[in-house]
Amino acid sequence: MTETYDVLVIGGGPGGYVAAIRAAQLGLRTALVEKKHLGGICLNWGCIPTKAMLHGAEVANSIAHAGELGFSVGEVSFDLDKLVQFSRSVSKRLTGGVEYLLKKNGVTVIDGTARLSGKGEVAVIDAEDREQTYRADHVIIATGARPRPLPGITPDGERIWTYFEALLPRRLPKSLLIIGSGAIGVEFASLYSDLGSEVTLVELAGQILPVEDAEVSEVVRKSFERRGIRVLTKAQVTAVQMEGEGVRCQLQGPDGVQELVVEHVLSAAGVQPNIEGLGLEALGVELERGFVRTDAVCRTNVFGLYAIGDVAGPPCLAHKASHEGVICVESLAGVEGVHALRRDHVPGCTYARPQVASLGLTEAAARASGRALKIGKFAYQGNGKALASGEPEGFVKTIFDADSGELLGAHMVGAQVTEQIQGFGMAQALEATDESLLSVIFAHPTLSEAMHESVLAANGRALHQ
Amino acid sequence: MSDIKTLEMPKWGLSMEEGTLLQWLLKEGDSFAKGQEVCEIETSKIVNVFEAPFAGTLRRVLVGPGETVPVGAALGLAADPSVAEDELKAFTASLGGTPAVAEAAPASSTDKAQPAAKSPAAVPARSAQAPAPVSPVASGQTRIPASLQGDTEAGQVHATSRALRQAIRLGVDLGKVKGSGRDGRISVADLEAAIVAAGGQLAAPALPRRSDKAPRSAADDSQVPATPLARRLAAQLGINLHDCRASGSRGRVSREDVQAASLLRDGVPAAASNAAEASAVPDVENLPMSGMRRAIAARLQESKRNAPHFRLTVDLDLERLLALRKEVNAGLPGVKVSVNDLLVKACGQALVEVPDVNVQFDETAQSIRRFADADVSVAVALPTGLITPIVRAANRKSISAISAEIHALVTKAKAGTLKPEEFQGGTFSVSNLGMLGVRQFDAIINPPQGAILAIGAGEARAAVREGQLVVRQQLTVSLSCDHRVIDGALGARFLQALKRLVETPSLMLV
Repeated sequence: MTETYDVLVIGGGPGGYVAAIRAAQLGLRTALVEKKHLGGICLNWGCIPTKAMLHGAEVANSIAHAGELGFSVGEVSFDLDKLVQFSRSVSKRLTGGVEYLLKKNGVTVIDGTARLSGKGEVAVIDAEDREQTYRADHVIIATGARPRPLPGITPDGERIWTYFEALLPRRLPKSLLIIGSGAIGVEFASLYSDLGSEVTLVELAGQILPVEDAEVSEVVRKSFERRGIRVLTKAQVTAVQMEGEGVRCQLQGPDGVQELVVEHVLSAAGVQPNIEGLGLEALGVELERGFVRTDAVCRTNVFGLYAIGDVAGPPCLAHKASHEGVICVESLAGVEGVHALRRDHVPGCTYARPQVASLGLTEAAARASGRALKIGKFAYQGNGKALASGEPEGFVKTIFDADSGELLGAHMVGAQVTEQIQGFGMAQALEATDESLLSVIFAHPTLSEAMHESVLAANGRALHQ
Repeated sequence: MSDIKTLEMPKWGLSMEEGTLLQWLLKEGDSFAKGQEVCEIETSKIVNVFEAPFAGTLRRVLVGPGETVPVGAALGLAADPSVAEDELKAFTASLGGTPAVAEAAPASSTDKAQPAAKSPAAVPARSAQAPAPVSPVASGQTRIPASLQGDTEAGQVHATSRALRQAIRLGVDLGKVKGSGRDGRISVADLEAAIVAAGGQLAAPALPRRSDKAPRSAADDSQVPATPLARRLAAQLGINLHDCRASGSRGRVSREDVQAASLLRDGVPAAASNAAEASAVPDVENLPMSGMRRAIAARLQESKRNAPHFRLTVDLDLERLLALRKEVNAGLPGVKVSVNDLLVKACGQALVEVPDVNVQFDETAQSIRRFADADVSVAVALPTGLITPIVRAANRKSISAISAEIHALVTKAKAGTLKPEEFQGGTFSVSNLGMLGVRQFDAIINPPQGAILAIGAGEARAAVREGQLVVRQQLTVSLSCDHRVIDGALGARFLQALKRLVETPSLMLV
């Protein structure tokens, strides 16, 4: 007899495994199908291993600046393999944790590749090519996304990388050209530059980190350029050609065409959803710009079929996927008080040096909305803790609706901002006004005082600038 | 005024927001001791007995059987018999919103019950959707017939330890009770059966209950020094901190003290108290009845005991229904209709065609409530029991709407998120065991409804059509009817209507 579940999740990334755990917690008989690694890209090839590598880059930077604090560092040697090993071991540990959590909550994990063979019916092919069909009242697609290939620049795993290869370098490249300056491109640019590679960052849009506030982007650009990273905006790679030990790249920019030979090219021009081979077409699943179209509670147009995370559309972020997983499951289980995802409440973080963290509308978007605004900005240069830690670069900008006091946007760049953005996230979730934020006592000395000063500044009351 | 106390809807768990009063175990004028059972209350999760938090005399019943009120609402007033009626009246008035709330809750259902009821005057509107009106006979008082009264001489009778304890509590001489167990051993069931057979009665539902509960303090315990953990645990377990030792630092009640008090109240763990029984039958496991099990046991026992069931069975030809289902499911991505969904729709429509089957029987008022719309209860099996969420007005909904609704209700039932209004009431039930391969079965009526349809598995069977033996997809359904309100011919007419709809499914599309 066919195994029957209440909920079956396809994909064990941060969207899928969270959805499965929540469903099991609610008492629903739950299964999760994963074809490769539990934890998905995030834990295996994304968020987590890059953070481990960036930690190494941070140490490199600290050593480089140790002299300023009176340390004399002798000859420093660096074994890249060790750093890669550290990164892999962190991934392994966390994916093991996911496996444990699923087991603890009573989720059945099915290894194999899933395909929708009918409404409420999923066929799974395992490693030995055996097919088994499962039934479920609710099927959740959480298959994620993968790097988007650029025409003519096909990743080959050798010279032309995607993030997979960039996380497993055999040796440190002398030079690296990165196409695309979203979070992935910018993080790798920062990482490889700190480790000693010569990095060129190419972005088609007018600014790097195109979705971030223009002033934030400018701070990152200046910082990068000071460190020797070459930043080219409004530029694109029109052709690549293998040449001996390197790649000859043809670049088209505002200043015309130029050529550059680099050891490796990293293609980081966004992602595309994993929708192929799922049997979506046969079921008549509607798509929107290539992603699965869903409603406020992650339902597709097909009976009993849901989609969450990257496959259901941008922003392609792990925490957005997890949050959607919970919304989706709680909604189908009839839990009261489920709210649709507010896109403007999803924080975005980039873990480069300097870090970037933001929420809600950029200043340009807020101005374009035509509302009366109150905008405050406070630079880390006026923050004692930032100076004391040798991190004076960065600022905090807050944008409020002048009438309602609602926090419309928060933009932070500088040291440790990714750990601080949730302060503004809570304000947003609790529907705080600028007044409520003004009354918060921020500990001294902390970087977070800049958050407070920014809100004070929005009200013309900044104390330290 | 200060002599008047209120008995309030208790809070039996963090998620409990309201409760339905099932039955008073006291009458106005009865005096009660602290800890005495006052009434039965059903929450969305359990049916339990509310014990008096103090001693007194019940002077006023404010909430009647079947009414649902929020936690903390006054259920009744207790006062010394010397307190004048006027004072009670004034006190009731001073409660303000409470009685209004009590009436407002079921009001939403009355607009449906009233127009259809045969004699609206005889139907107390507020109990129209009483989930389980209880038999008026079972007024909650246990009465032991004189023929059975007496003292049991321990050692002289062969009885289970629980039966022996129960007999001593009830004052029954077990020597006069016949045992049905091994070697004539008397069980609690034998004891209860004997009491009923001899003309006595037991507090209904006759649930085994521990008699050794220590009385509980009801005094405000907010000032009792206790650790935060102990305080929360006490609230969860329903323990008054006054009843706990205070062994913690600086005379505070600790977690262990609360746990000890809870153990004291609920009796020693089952393993110890049932030791005698367990040694006699070593391979039997004594599983405590969950709240849901108790509710199922009480309601279905009541149904089977009170409602004279008769059953009618027909075979339905599914060929056209399956063809319709296939076409609909293949043609619309947003729709996945099951045979069960289609049968619920057919029942909804057949019930409107034969409205005398779309009824509830009000035993207390001795009247039949006939409904304009068919609210079909759909039995959903859960690991711990079963629950019957309701498709309201199935007669007026499209097949796809019914399908989507059942899909959502089934998952909610499994997740335990059904709201009381989603499973309380209903005018007719369906129970489907087809997916488990059952060919035909008879179901017990879900009181106070008049009938239930038991659906078996669809399968290819040999059939004779125009003198030829052919293979047809068929399914057997059995209708159980309460003969007090539905006669045989009437039930048969309903099945005719159902068969016509199932075998000519296009009739359900218009």
